[in-house]
Amino acid sequence: MLVLYNEIHQYSLIAIQKRVCPPTLSLDLIHKNCSAREFPATLANMPLTPIKKRLFLGYLNASSILVFLAYGTCLAQDDYPSRPINVVTHTSPGGGTDATARSVMVGTKLALNIDMAVLPRTGAGGIVAMNYVNNQPRDGYTVLAITPSHLFAIARNQGPLRIEDLVGVARATDDPSIVMVRADSAASTLEELFEMGRRRPIKWGTTQIGGGDHISAATLAKVANTKIAVVPFFGGGEIVTNLMGGSIEAAGLNLTEALDQIRRGDFRALAVMANERLAVIDHVPTTVELGYDTVYSTVRGYAVLKGTPENRIRILEQGMLQGMHHPSYQDYLRGAGLSRNAIAGQETWNAQINQLYLEARQAMVDLGIIR
Amino acid sequence: MLPTGFDFAISALANPFVLGLIGLGTLAGVLVGALPGLSSSMAVALLLPFSIYLDPIPAIALLSALYCAGTFGGSITAILINAPGAPPAVATAFDGYPMAVKGEAGRALGMAAVASVCGGIFSVFVLLFTAPVLARIAYSFGPPEYFALAVFGLSMLASISREAPIKNLIGGCLGLTIATIGVDLTTGVERFTFGVAELYGGIHFIPVLIGLFAVTELLSQAARLGKETHSITLAALKLPTREDFRRVRGTIARSSVIGTLIGVLPAEGGTIAAMIGYNEAKRWSKVPEKFGKGAIEAVAGPEAANNAATGGAMIPTLALGIPGSATAAVILAGLQVHGLRPGPYLFEEQPGLIYSIFFAMLIANVLFLLIGLAGAKIFSRISLVPATILWPMVFALCFVGAYGLEQSMVDVWVMLIAGLLGFVLKYHGFGPAPIIMGLVLGGLIETSLAQSMIIFDQSWTGFLSRPVAVIFFVLALSSIFSSPIRMLFRSYMNKMAKKT
Repeated sequence: MLVLYNEIHQYSLIAIQKRVCPPTLSLDLIHKNCSAREFPATLANMPLTPIKKRLFLGYLNASSILVFLAYGTCLAQDDYPSRPINVVTHTSPGGGTDATARSVMVGTKLALNIDMAVLPRTGAGGIVAMNYVNNQPRDGYTVLAITPSHLFAIARNQGPLRIEDLVGVARATDDPSIVMVRADSAASTLEELFEMGRRRPIKWGTTQIGGGDHISAATLAKVANTKIAVVPFFGGGEIVTNLMGGSIEAAGLNLTEALDQIRRGDFRALAVMANERLAVIDHVPTTVELGYDTVYSTVRGYAVLKGTPENRIRILEQGMLQGMHHPSYQDYLRGAGLSRNAIAGQETWNAQINQLYLEARQAMVDLGIIR
Repeated sequence: MLPTGFDFAISALANPFVLGLIGLGTLAGVLVGALPGLSSSMAVALLLPFSIYLDPIPAIALLSALYCAGTFGGSITAILINAPGAPPAVATAFDGYPMAVKGEAGRALGMAAVASVCGGIFSVFVLLFTAPVLARIAYSFGPPEYFALAVFGLSMLASISREAPIKNLIGGCLGLTIATIGVDLTTGVERFTFGVAELYGGIHFIPVLIGLFAVTELLSQAARLGKETHSITLAALKLPTREDFRRVRGTIARSSVIGTLIGVLPAEGGTIAAMIGYNEAKRWSKVPEKFGKGAIEAVAGPEAANNAATGGAMIPTLALGIPGSATAAVILAGLQVHGLRPGPYLFEEQPGLIYSIFFAMLIANVLFLLIGLAGAKIFSRISLVPATILWPMVFALCFVGAYGLEQSMVDVWVMLIAGLLGFVLKYHGFGPAPIIMGLVLGGLIETSLAQSMIIFDQSWTGFLSRPVAVIFFVLALSSIFSSPIRMLFRSYMNKMAKKT
């Protein structure tokens, strides 16, 4: 089942590069980092006879040498972005991270006037993606989509990056976990659920062991002095199915994953693992109100690595924020049942990355997973 | 009286632009499906950003058409060059390629097209009429049921290919072993990864597939070069006869039902459906000994099943918002990008959209039947290309396919190693089918068992409390013991006949 999900791939980069540099032109002399973009655009718009074309190509070669010589000054005047930007994701196409990235890209492409592509580097809870990004130049053309998975991996000291290497660009979604049971469950409040767990362990569905979903559930159980038996699944869809089918008794699910089930009354939301209540289900208390300060949310945002020029990060941030305010992304948020308040710029997001990391480390230390 | 939304769907689709998009999607799907390593889920993901600029109905029509046609496309290369274009086409290669070698490429391709369309159309109708009801099946499948399903799948191991049963079992164990590579879901422990991050997620299925089938075949062809000359007559271009179709009627019907039901199970999809379709075709066949040597039922069985799984996979996707396959997951994202929320509400609030998807899939099925039948005569000429020219080209394609999956060299190495391994194993009389079966089911069987044991508080008797699981266990037992019992019964009857 997992193998089938892995059959995923990305070719758009090749296609996009073709679009930027038509193969009919011998542009190899022009360094790709420089403003090669104008040349094909000019040529494409020019009706040329074969002879003129040859002349033009000669001129082009001459000018390309000039451009090549001028490369050194290129960085100084900085025409970023001048070639496609890649967004590296850690999940297969179709997952929440992929869909979010693609919807953000629609408006960002327009704002930055440049093509963007999603590069999935799936596996190992983001480590494969972080390895890939770590091996790319830190020039603002490779953007990493980050989720709590990445921060948990870093907190476990897995993968090539340390927390200081990440520089947040912008935040796209904030989707808190909601503790849910099936509507026919004996527990109608969080406290009743925990009381059940004190008699025998609650069957609790989570995603991968050691990931944020598992750690937050384990922390909540520890704080509440109750017992849970963790049943891991590959993704939220499976957890919904199994909670519905009765194989598990409780789970922390996002609004994106289970809004329909709550609305139809199939699932009962017991508590939102956040500081503030959610507007769509404002009758549901938060864990903080109930006296447990364990919060967990699927936040998705974008980051580059330390060493990327400051002005480029600023341009990228503005572009991505414009993309997030574009109707395409707003429609996506509405379709997925997500809040618009999640959209945030570098300052807020960067602070949150660090805070999430510290919380992840602390939780794992408390549970004895790391020292 | 037409149902609400019916006329809306007709008017939305009866538009040259939308029909053109469906046609394009179908053509692109067949091509993408046919190339090993390029799959319909990738093509759909690539079209997703483009579809954002379209209105919701043309966008979803385009994506669904691509999905339907992509599944069929995989059979073309499976039959012609033993390189299944997509995982669901694996089982088609078992007998499709032997048919092409025998000089019956056209017959196999034509049968694949017809069986695919029958399966596809059947599942699309099931989607339209029973989706909200049938989608509930997805809920009744928890880890114990998946475990039982996987056990049922493995019960076919010994008989899946024509080699000796014991060798099939050994091959299956090899596949199961390969499936243990990666981070274990229930413990988080890394197994056989040797610190290579690319292996954390396990060995990808597609490079192994390309290696075991195409590279192994290339090496065997190379070993035979100069030893035997192989002349294929123009009979290769002949399409299946009416007699052929009469023979496979039952197989297609059975596989369509199996494929639709398996397709409904989230994340199961075409590959397992095709495997079961193949095995059931064999079990019900009057001439099971011909399977593996180019039996026409053996092409119809898996092809009807894997295309039926496309409609099946759309059922939970649309009715519950839970994707039934990798490609359906991308289509689900496509719906969300348009601000639509698949789920039980979709059927009540947007009947027009549901009908549009239905008609788009229907049109795509009819179109790829035309492409498939007209193309069969053209494509089958590939089997006339001399091996010394054809196979080097296939080899290049293998590299592209394995690398293209995730632009990872690790996958290319996996493909080459799988190819060498497959060649050595083939030389010693092992077929690829059991290895693939073990690899497909290995992860599922282990994960679902571990999950089940947590759910049952580590008590095996828990399985007995799950009726669906018990049914699959009984099916598995009957599949294992049916042939020895039949043999015993026959020898007993013979003895009785002698006595009297």
